[in-house]
Amino acid sequence: MSRRAVDALFQALYLLTDIRFILRETAPVHELDDEQKVRAGKAIEKLKKQVTILEEELS
Amino acid sequence: MKCTADIDTRDVEELYINIDPIQAGGRLTVDAQKAAIAYSDGYSVCDNCRKPFRLDYIDKPPIADFHRDCAEWLNMDVVRLVPGARRGFQAVVSSIVEKGDPALVTALSHYTEFASLEQAGADIHEIPKDEHNHITAENAAARIEDVTRETGKTPSILFVEHVDYQYGNIHEVAGIAKVAHQYDIPVLLNGAYSVGIMPVDGKALGVDFVIGSGHKSMAAPAPSGLVATTDEYADIVFRTTQVKGDITGRTFGIKEVEMMGCTLMGVTAVGLVASFPAVKERVLHWDHEVKNSNTVADALCAVEGTLVESDMPREHTLTRINTVDSFNKVAEIHKKRGYFLSHSLKKNGIIGVIPGSTRVWKYNTYGLTDAQIGIVCEAFQDIARENKLNVS
Repeated sequence: MSRRAVDALFQALYLLTDIRFILRETAPVHELDDEQKVRAGKAIEKLKKQVTILEEELS
Repeated sequence: MKCTADIDTRDVEELYINIDPIQAGGRLTVDAQKAAIAYSDGYSVCDNCRKPFRLDYIDKPPIADFHRDCAEWLNMDVVRLVPGARRGFQAVVSSIVEKGDPALVTALSHYTEFASLEQAGADIHEIPKDEHNHITAENAAARIEDVTRETGKTPSILFVEHVDYQYGNIHEVAGIAKVAHQYDIPVLLNGAYSVGIMPVDGKALGVDFVIGSGHKSMAAPAPSGLVATTDEYADIVFRTTQVKGDITGRTFGIKEVEMMGCTLMGVTAVGLVASFPAVKERVLHWDHEVKNSNTVADALCAVEGTLVESDMPREHTLTRINTVDSFNKVAEIHKKRGYFLSHSLKKNGIIGVIPGSTRVWKYNTYGLTDAQIGIVCEAFQDIARENKLNVS
């Protein structure tokens, strides 16, 4: 059992959901203001870390 | 983009501003989307179901807490989850209306209100709307008198919409409930367009039942909704099973007859629960939603020949608009005919107006950001100008 991989999977899905909501609140032009850019940037950085964990655990 | 081999990805909320009249309040919150990911399997909320084995007793996820908090939030005594407002109507009617009983709905009632009464064999009568498309206490009183005289019985129930689906108008509920109670008629509030988007206080309104729609106004997956009632009616509508198998002798604990045991056992329940904190918060900002609704209504009324058929100024985000003398004039000569409006809106990043509608149609601005409200206003006026309509 890889609890670490499962946690990383869900965390990644939740971070993607945060990004999905930035796309929703900025539709249809998706021009992000400064605050939204910071939120998106943080979510993407955290997402990269979760993907790295998945690579480590599953490869 | 495909979701599966045969199913498209639904990405309209990410790509467009959606002003569909029935979809606005049911868009999930970010927390509900996350909960939906984790609880997507069938009986997902039942992992920790223990004796007495009923949905409203489940502590993890916090469904039991939700039931208590939601009743308090609505200022009612007891809440149960149901698969949509219509199933709430059905549960109440099945409990208190007998075959042949007169029952009152309104000239603005939804078909599911009629259907729940038809299923029970009720003798259905409508309270007329007034010239402003309002259901009033005066008309309710007159109709109660008429129906009682004609049928020889007092109606068993009176349905009233807090906000109707045709005009998005707010009705005189407290006055109607007061009148109905003078005749000992219980009052059911259809809160499909109010519970979850605007403040609702059941006791202040004086109603006996509050019905809410999860997928219409509580940011929850479909089908979901709730029935809230008072202690006076809780034991009737939420009565527990008394049946016993004649061969096996089996009995069925505290399952509630009208709920058919448990109701929402997966993503629907967890979606409602997950959205609830945000829903409680968002109703506090109803004034801002109404302001945005008026901004769009004013922008449309600036297009010569356009009329808002709902109350003006707007008191709700659902609006009925008449563009017979504006956009429909364009449709008469446009190569896309009536489809030009929805087509042009889509080109501007806006969906939700029924394709082909250019006469009388509805839209809902609930939940849009201020920037999106600006885009909607600008799009309607730009489309008008492009088609030689005057914009003041």
